[in-house]
Amino acid sequence: MQHRISALLMGLGSALVATTAITQWAVYEQPTAADWAALAELPDFSGVWERGGGGRGRGAAAGAGRAAGAGAGRAAGGGRGGASPTPEYAALRDQLRGTQGPSQMANCLPPAMPGIMSQPYPMEFLMTPGKVTIILEAFTQVRHIFTDGRELPEFPDPTFFGTSIGRWEGDTLVVESVGFNDFVTIAGIPHSDELRITERISLLDPDTMLIETTFTDPLALTEPYTTSATFARHRDWTLAEYICQENNRNFVTPDGEEGIILDNPGGQPPPPN
Amino acid sequence: MRARLVLFSIALGMSAGASAHHSFSVFNMQTEVSITGVVKEVQWTNPHIFVWVDVTGEDGKVVTWGLEGMSPNFLARRGWSRTTLEPGDEVTVSLRPLNSGEPGGMFISTTTPEGVVLTMGGGREGGGE
Repeated sequence: MQHRISALLMGLGSALVATTAITQWAVYEQPTAADWAALAELPDFSGVWERGGGGRGRGAAAGAGRAAGAGAGRAAGGGRGGASPTPEYAALRDQLRGTQGPSQMANCLPPAMPGIMSQPYPMEFLMTPGKVTIILEAFTQVRHIFTDGRELPEFPDPTFFGTSIGRWEGDTLVVESVGFNDFVTIAGIPHSDELRITERISLLDPDTMLIETTFTDPLALTEPYTTSATFARHRDWTLAEYICQENNRNFVTPDGEEGIILDNPGGQPPPPN
Repeated sequence: MRARLVLFSIALGMSAGASAHHSFSVFNMQTEVSITGVVKEVQWTNPHIFVWVDVTGEDGKVVTWGLEGMSPNFLARRGWSRTTLEPGDEVTVSLRPLNSGEPGGMFISTTTPEGVVLTMGGGREGGGE
């Protein structure tokens, strides 16, 4: 009897795997020596990068002519230089404006996409067979970009950073992400389930990275919206620990009131938020 | 001392304080206040460092000011260390005061008795959500 139940469960499991195999995670296999060697043929993104240049001059790519508006955080596309919401989503944005209160970041909630990519802290790229990993020092976060040929899930869970796959177009890594929660906005405009974020990541020179980020959302935007930013490589940097809860004296109340706790020196951190 | 002289040259190119993880709404960003006193305590921690300075008033009463600075990560890459300011140091600090009127604020810069200027900022506000 027990065998039959097990067999039944295994059968069910197999059926589930079979029907969802296209959209679920690929199975990890040990990389071969050739897989590792193939990485050497790709542009070298590995290492530590800081947005804007960190003292080496922000917007170093502004004159590179790679894309309209290349430079630190400047927007391109969207007609008037900003994102163009559909009437419905413009109304939604206006409706939400003033009700969302200050950012929950003061309570140590990490920023979502795309804000996590524009923090004043560096990020590290790791390139391994089938995957590019971005470690973000700010709030100690990680983005997983699968380059093993898998497809995006059809029904992704909504998350802060979405679910990402990447492919190489020449020397450019094209990252497609879907599945975002409501902490994600398009320059302040709410998004629909159809939001897709496409990042085109390339090197302008060995120590300057360009990331062009395009938001496509047929329900929320009248046309795709693109921003771009440059990042400077710091070959002598390593990422540092960033545990926001270590000694967070800032807070936002449920009513949106911001505050700071400064009155208890003596080495004791304040109570958790 | 040598480390502080290095800091002086680094600080010159910097703008005033930037924050990575909250807005500036608790501070009066239009006002700059200067206090002179003795460092009581330094907490070299994320997400911000905190410095408390004892300021003795004309009446002899000591008021402790609590100051928020940048993060250790940010500062360590710009010449600061956890011993740059230590308890007992005499300092003059420029700050953005708390809107609440309580003795505290956002650390902008300090001048040590040797005349060395240490600036907190140089970064950019985070990209929000």
